Amino acid sequence: MKRLYRHAQIASEDSPKLQTADVLVEGDRIIGVASTIEKADGAEVIDCSGRVLMPAMFDIHVHAREPGQEEKENIATCAEAAINGGVTGFIMMPNTVPAIDNAGVVRGVLESAGRTRIGAGIYTTGAITKGRKGEELAGIAGMKAAGAVMLTDDGFPVDNPQVLRRAMEYARDYDLPLASHCEVKELSGKGAMHEGSVSYALGLHGIPSISEEICIARDIRLAEFTGVHLNIQHVTTARGMETIKRAKDRGIRVTCEVAPHHLIFSHEDIGNYDTHYKMNPPLRTKEDNAALLRGLIDGWFDVIATDHAPHTEFEKNQDFASAPFGITGLETALPSLHDRFISKGIFGWDLVVKRYSAEPRRMFKLPPVPIVEGGVAEFIVFNPERTTKFTRDFMKSKSVNTPFLDQELKGMVERVVYRGEELLAR
Amino acid sequence: MNPRKDLLDIQSLTDEEITFVLENAVPFKDLFRRSVKKVPTLKGRTMLTLFYEPSTRTRSSFEVAASRLSADVTHFDVESSSVVKGESVLDTVETLEAMRVDYIVVRHKQAGIPNLIAKNTAASVINAGDGWHAHPTQALLDGFTLREVFKDTRGARCLIVGDIQHSRVARSTSLLLRRLGMNMAYLAPGSLMPREVPQEVAQFGNWTDALEWKPDVVYLLRVQSERLEEPFFPSAAEYHKNYGLTDARVQILRERGIYLMHPGPVNRGVEITDKGMDYERSLINAQVENGIAVRMSVLYWLRPGA
Repeated sequence: MKRLYRHAQIASEDSPKLQTADVLVEGDRIIGVASTIEKADGAEVIDCSGRVLMPAMFDIHVHAREPGQEEKENIATCAEAAINGGVTGFIMMPNTVPAIDNAGVVRGVLESAGRTRIGAGIYTTGAITKGRKGEELAGIAGMKAAGAVMLTDDGFPVDNPQVLRRAMEYARDYDLPLASHCEVKELSGKGAMHEGSVSYALGLHGIPSISEEICIARDIRLAEFTGVHLNIQHVTTARGMETIKRAKDRGIRVTCEVAPHHLIFSHEDIGNYDTHYKMNPPLRTKEDNAALLRGLIDGWFDVIATDHAPHTEFEKNQDFASAPFGITGLETALPSLHDRFISKGIFGWDLVVKRYSAEPRRMFKLPPVPIVEGGVAEFIVFNPERTTKFTRDFMKSKSVNTPFLDQELKGMVERVVYRGEELLAR
Repeated sequence: MNPRKDLLDIQSLTDEEITFVLENAVPFKDLFRRSVKKVPTLKGRTMLTLFYEPSTRTRSSFEVAASRLSADVTHFDVESSSVVKGESVLDTVETLEAMRVDYIVVRHKQAGIPNLIAKNTAASVINAGDGWHAHPTQALLDGFTLREVFKDTRGARCLIVGDIQHSRVARSTSLLLRRLGMNMAYLAPGSLMPREVPQEVAQFGNWTDALEWKPDVVYLLRVQSERLEEPFFPSAAEYHKNYGLTDARVQILRERGIYLMHPGPVNRGVEITDKGMDYERSLINAQVENGIAVRMSVLYWLRPGA
């Protein structure tokens, strides 16, 4: 069975220009890309005029909540949410209950992932320390053998620098990137949002920017010392980003992520204690938004990652200080980047392909999925003219804790093709 | 003036609303000099106090205000209710909804709880203090008190002294007095001074500089040492010496005719001395009396269900 995607605008990481072409798919492969492909015998023809056809996304920062917090999400619903957002692969974080901190749990979550429609696209991290407590090293070699692709205590920093040093030495030798959630806990205290004028006005404990920035500096210095590949998660401040940039310039093996919400929203959006704007690290200032956006355009960030963090409506419908940190992102990331940036000409599709599809895969030595003859057919069709309304019904995640709930964004993921199979068509 | 359901903070009030509340408090206060201090304004209405933090003063003030308006008053006893057993605030609110009370007066240690409750009930919610966030009736009674003293508050100068960072009174009262045209200044140790003070508020780190600013009113805040989990200052004695109203400083206030305010309850020996308590230009008792009149005016102004 062949499928011909006709008159599509092909996006690639190499050029901001879209190329109009037809794409022919057979089995799990793209067997033809050309300006015109004559209708092949028996091929289903799909008109893609006015649509962007681009490599599918890969998200390296996802909380699938399994095992233990299945009321928020499970791997199956998380996979469906990913597909709904044009994401065909992701990496799960280990802050589950129990934590993913040994080979047994690694095997368990991968087995569960294998039962989803994008089974081979889902990977897991393993915790750096047992129970993510920051004290004893987790079974790193065993987790690596079972399939873990990165180490992190995400959600927490490893407070003790000696423990982190040992973990980095281990991660280096087992060729695992180590990802840091950067925060000095004593400086963050009971903070619920960015420390600044808004936290003062709302009377909320603040998380100062220095909490994140000091930890970034410390972790980079340790990475330089040990030679590990350090990945700094969800950078939120201009100063933190600059510290990472300087380290990269000096040749230190450090990569970093930016989340769409840290580009789009600031602490001012919290307004009347809206918990859909509560996450850690928090929304910072508008100046930080602008600096991060500049950094993303200038290539300072290696990847875009959502930090998809589902929580139930009951949990989020508490007062701001008591509600948990985190918002969902898999379903809204691409439309929100299109709505706020691409549709306004602030950056092009090439940036999204590079930072949300190709580079995240390369970081884990996975092949990117460009739209080329002979390549794996793993792409999406995005219609920039339609709008998507993020209603409860539309979203496939078990949770709806997103600032975009019931909002409309410009653009729609119309089709998702995973290894030749159409997982979504609307 | 649009009808308003809740009083949650000062920011959201219009000038017209502030004036309405302050002016209507005047006839309510006049009532206190009569032998029968009660009017039938809110007969048949019910006010419930929901205090997650103990505060005998504020609660009593609301209760006296409501009963002088002939409202029925009831107290939801948080200590002995299921709240402590893990019932969420919204579960409690659902229970209160079923009781069909008209006004809910809330105090909670978390900022934003009154906002959350207000969103989920038809009753009028009055914030009686939420964490560091706001204490709007305190601000209104302070404004009322200073209007009595100065007639025209515009240009008058008020120095707030103490834990500015963690004080809902500093936030709300400072906002309100600025709306009344007053000039504001803060005096606090650096560790208790917020990093982002609005430009129009002067900041001082010691009494000498602060007094040179020529305040008309010194407003002392309670040093909430019980709420401070971190070392913001070395000791109460050191705080008193450097930032408290010592006897010598009372003498300066007296010589310059400066008024003294405090939201109560005071920590004698920390922010104020015994002599300070007896200072003839202290407005502390006036604040308490005015609190009832202003709270009556607030109850009269709000519209449950609006």
